[in-house]
Amino acid sequence: MDILRYGHDAWGQVVVNGLSWDLLPVAAGAGVAVIVIHFIYRALSRALRPRADRTGGN
Amino acid sequence: MAADSTQQAPAAAPADRVQRHAAIDRIFHWVTAATMTALLVTGLLPVVGIGFAWLDVHWISGLLLTAAILLHVVRAVTVQGLRAMSLRPRDLGEIGGRRRPGKYSLQQKTIHLGWTVAILVAIGTGIVLMIKAGTPFFERDPYVFTLQTWGVLTVLHDLAALLCVFLVLVHVYFGLLPEKRMYLRSMLRGWVTRAELAENHDPERVARGE
Repeated sequence: MDILRYGHDAWGQVVVNGLSWDLLPVAAGAGVAVIVIHFIYRALSRALRPRADRTGGN
Repeated sequence: MAADSTQQAPAAAPADRVQRHAAIDRIFHWVTAATMTALLVTGLLPVVGIGFAWLDVHWISGLLLTAAILLHVVRAVTVQGLRAMSLRPRDLGEIGGRRRPGKYSLQQKTIHLGWTVAILVAIGTGIVLMIKAGTPFFERDPYVFTLQTWGVLTVLHDLAALLCVFLVLVHVYFGLLPEKRMYLRSMLRGWVTRAELAENHDPERVARGE
């Protein structure tokens, strides 16, 4: 997976064009990972909480 | 408790309500959300192969976002003050419940800091990149900078865009959680109940403007 996008200038030298779009799924995946990890943590912490405390839960 | 107070909140008497966000701040939030959505859609759909004339909508949305951010910064500095959103080491005490949050929690301050970095980088680089693209405000001149410099500016702009993708996902998730619904309501209608405030925040810190 590339980190950067490259092109060439008028003399044929390699220049950076921008960030590689291969990283787009990485950014989206990181967001989804945070959501999944928090959702699991939230579910576990609710399951382990004493029942009396859960009556007002969501 | 949180859910109970949240579910009872819509029927809360006006006397039980505490204003959390003024109308101008709610308008700012939703203008920012709309322009950010437009920027990500116009900036990233072509990347995934959905081509269309994206540039005009992109830079117009960017300028609208810039105007909104400028007004927000002026209001934050002159009216609201910076204390409530300032991230301090002692805020880490909220982890484990040793300290209760002021107006904004550690998580809210952290994501605000992320937005600050992403949006300022996106705006700073985006305005300069408008010179390369050519708009009614800037005559197109791609020779102002070297290709290498344009490349670095574009890398920073792209990095900001990817950070925004991450932040949008996380922000929307937390905004929709049932136990956080009071914050969504306050961003729509402006208020939380006194019970919600007492349960989730330290009213004394809130009163001090923290």
